[in-house]
Amino acid sequence: MLRIRHYSISKKLTWMNMFVSGTALLLACTAFFAYDVYTFRVGIAHNLSTQAQIIGSNTVSALVFNDSRAAETTLSALKASPQVAYAAIYTSEGKFFAGYWPGEHGQSLPFPGLPTGKSQTHWFGHGQIALVDSIVFQDRPTGFVYIRSDLRALDDRLRSYTLISAAVLLISLVVALLISKMSQRVVSEPVVRLADTVRVVSREKNYAIRAAPTGNHDELSTLIEAVNEMLDQIQQRDAALLLAHDELEHRVQERTTQLELANKELELKNREVERATKLKSQFLASMSHELRTPLNAIIGFSDLLAAHTAGSLTDKQGRFIGHVRNGAHHLLQLINDILDLSKIEAGQLELRCEDFRADEALPEVLSMIRPLAMGKNIQVELSVTENLSIFADRVRFKQILYNLLSNAVKFTGKGGRVEIDCQPCGNLVSISVKDSGVGIRPEDHAAVFEEFRQLKAGAEATHEGTGLGLAITKRLVERQGGTISLESAVGQGSRFTFTLRPGSNLAGIVTPVQIASSVNSVLKGGSSKPLVLIVDDELSARELLASYLSSEYRIAMAQSGAEAMEKIRQLRPDAVTLDVLMEKGDGFETLVALRKEAETATIPVIILSIVDQKNVGFALGATDYLIKPIRKSELLPTMHKHLPPRAEDDSVVLLVDDDPKTLELLEDTLGSAGYETQSVRSGARALEVLSSKIVSAVLLDLLMPGMDGFQVIAHIRQQPTLRELPIFVMTAKTLSEQEIAILGKETQAFFPKGGPWQQQLISEINRLIQGKRAKAAGIL
Amino acid sequence: MLLGSPSVCAQRPKATDYQVKAAYLYNFGRFVEWPSEAAATKANAFTVCILGQDPFGADLDTILAGETIGGRHVVAKRISSPQESVSCQILFVGSTEGNRVGKIIDILDEQAVLTVSDMPEFSQRGGMIQFVPEGNRVRFEVNLAATQRAHLTLSSELLKVATSVRRN
Repeated sequence: MLRIRHYSISKKLTWMNMFVSGTALLLACTAFFAYDVYTFRVGIAHNLSTQAQIIGSNTVSALVFNDSRAAETTLSALKASPQVAYAAIYTSEGKFFAGYWPGEHGQSLPFPGLPTGKSQTHWFGHGQIALVDSIVFQDRPTGFVYIRSDLRALDDRLRSYTLISAAVLLISLVVALLISKMSQRVVSEPVVRLADTVRVVSREKNYAIRAAPTGNHDELSTLIEAVNEMLDQIQQRDAALLLAHDELEHRVQERTTQLELANKELELKNREVERATKLKSQFLASMSHELRTPLNAIIGFSDLLAAHTAGSLTDKQGRFIGHVRNGAHHLLQLINDILDLSKIEAGQLELRCEDFRADEALPEVLSMIRPLAMGKNIQVELSVTENLSIFADRVRFKQILYNLLSNAVKFTGKGGRVEIDCQPCGNLVSISVKDSGVGIRPEDHAAVFEEFRQLKAGAEATHEGTGLGLAITKRLVERQGGTISLESAVGQGSRFTFTLRPGSNLAGIVTPVQIASSVNSVLKGGSSKPLVLIVDDELSARELLASYLSSEYRIAMAQSGAEAMEKIRQLRPDAVTLDVLMEKGDGFETLVALRKEAETATIPVIILSIVDQKNVGFALGATDYLIKPIRKSELLPTMHKHLPPRAEDDSVVLLVDDDPKTLELLEDTLGSAGYETQSVRSGARALEVLSSKIVSAVLLDLLMPGMDGFQVIAHIRQQPTLRELPIFVMTAKTLSEQEIAILGKETQAFFPKGGPWQQQLISEINRLIQGKRAKAAGIL
Repeated sequence: MLLGSPSVCAQRPKATDYQVKAAYLYNFGRFVEWPSEAAATKANAFTVCILGQDPFGADLDTILAGETIGGRHVVAKRISSPQESVSCQILFVGSTEGNRVGKIIDILDEQAVLTVSDMPEFSQRGGMIQFVPEGNRVRFEVNLAATQRAHLTLSSELLKVATSVRRN
């Protein structure tokens, strides 16, 4: 049945016709057949009944006079009817009287009886029809006739009838098939042709093809017309679409051309902008250099003058020099601020964000501001939540805080109070600086963060400052993902609050603070004395030892083995005094660790201990062993034995700068620290000197005509003998990340001009040169 | 299975010959047509007469009781003279009347009376129906000429079961 769904329409039509005519024929044949069977049966029964009646009337006398032979004679007439299988006469009591069998004499059958009230009955069964008829003579029941007749005739008839029916059915179906095949074309052919046409159209996408009309006026022709009409419309639409498409393409091309032109223009403009930006950066860089270089000279020389290095000054001269220094410092600050601001505006500010501890960064800034505050007798209080970390650029963070604090101190009258509060605020860290100063009018709150806006806070106030501090502060905070806000009223003081992101992991924070502070502690000596590290867990012991040694040596201290190792790595002391019995960590372990590392293996270590374990100490590599309590007269000679307090100064520092004033400043600065110097004014000249003379260090300017500082560094590092030569860089140039990286790798240190470079420079050179001497002494 | 066979039929409690013959007398009446004028002139009852010694006794009366022929009641009548038989439809001549058979037939000359007897040569001597024993069965022969002379019409059915039919 499902397959018929996939037949073609002509096949479907043919099958439909066949099915209809076949069904009709079958029904007709069956009806005729059934009717015939019925009438035939009725006929047979009638015939048999007639026969029975004749037999009955002919056997009355035989019955009456009990002459069965006469009855048999009568019955024998049935021979003429070959279908009769059995016939018999029964008496009125139902007793067998006479019988008939075709052929041989057969068995008599029992009388089947007759329903009361009926004179005749018949029934069918076992391929036979049976009939019982009563014999009545002169109103008296005289007997019965019983006839059974074969229905072979009926069977024959049925068989032939079936055959004829089948033949008729077959012939009719064949004829119907022929007729339907011919007639279905009337319907199917146009449909098939239409389908073919549509298929061709859809396959070839050729909408110019049309279905042929049938010439009839039926639904099919309407369909064909509709299809043709549809094709017409599609063709028209196609044409229109093509037109539109062409137009669109044209337009797209036009637009593309315009766009390309615009792009080119944009590119040109972009390049111009790039060039302008580059120019601006270059301008900034050279500005910073050009402005800072003369300023450096002004500050440096005025400092020297103020320090009476060029002879003593009169009070007036001293005051004037003071004004020059202040003015120069202010100018330097202004230049630095402008450069910072320009960098921020130009998007060139590079931030190096890291996690650091708030409770370490804050005191550092505080220590910078305290002298100012003390000058005005202002109390500064810090409250910081423990174990709070901040994720920000450490240097910029300090700048922000410094700006706020210096403002606070600046605008707070004598005997005032400044409070710093640092605590977590939601998922941020909030730092606030509160002062008891003059306060700011609410309408001016927004203006304080604008550039070059200095507010007339009070009648008496004409304060120093560039007017850029808060503008920079605000931008720095915002660049680091924070906000800054102000609460203030006139006479009520002000509170600046800024937020920053918290650090993620306190434990993982390296604390450069300690390094810086330890460096500071080293620098305190300020001279070229050798450095001795005192390792002892008792403060009093440390101080005692320091007092013994400090007249001839610089002193660094550590209170545990771990701290000692750290400081040894950082400071490279020229000698170590080591207590071996400490609360935290065994001194012997420190000694062993010290001796394991190649760089620290040669440092002289003098063990100072209450217990006498000399054997152990010397076995582990101790240089000497003294037993507490130790007297000064004992310690100093021992120390002298291993570390002479001061060696001959035979070092020359090569100074390279194109600016003669800077050179003079440097010569003076280093000379006062006891170093011999040689100055050259170009990179090429410097290389010449280096090829002919051994120097202990090079102090190099970066921006010079001809060969610049980087080229000089590259040349120096190319020569094997100079690969280890210490190079210090002093520059007024604003350095890029890349340049900082190069300097960090190739030089010992670099100092920005205009910063507090002098002291740092001297201490670095001290460390370096004295370290070398100590090494040389150790080898000797 | 053998119920309907003739032999079984013979085994049943057997009716005496005269009982059979009495029934036959009645049945002859049913297969014979009497001339209509004779029927009209006669009395209402259909009379079966016994002349001479009565061999049937009460059996005949029993058999005939309640029966009709042609709508008329059948009665038995015992007579002693042949003259009396003119009023009968059927006359049975007893074996005691053998000497008077000729005289009786003459008396009944052309009278519509069916004469029946079981004496030998009755039909030869002019009687109409004569019982003939055949084995253990009772059969009869017919003198058709005599019946025709008496204007009696015998059914062909009756002739069919007769052992022989005399026609002259």
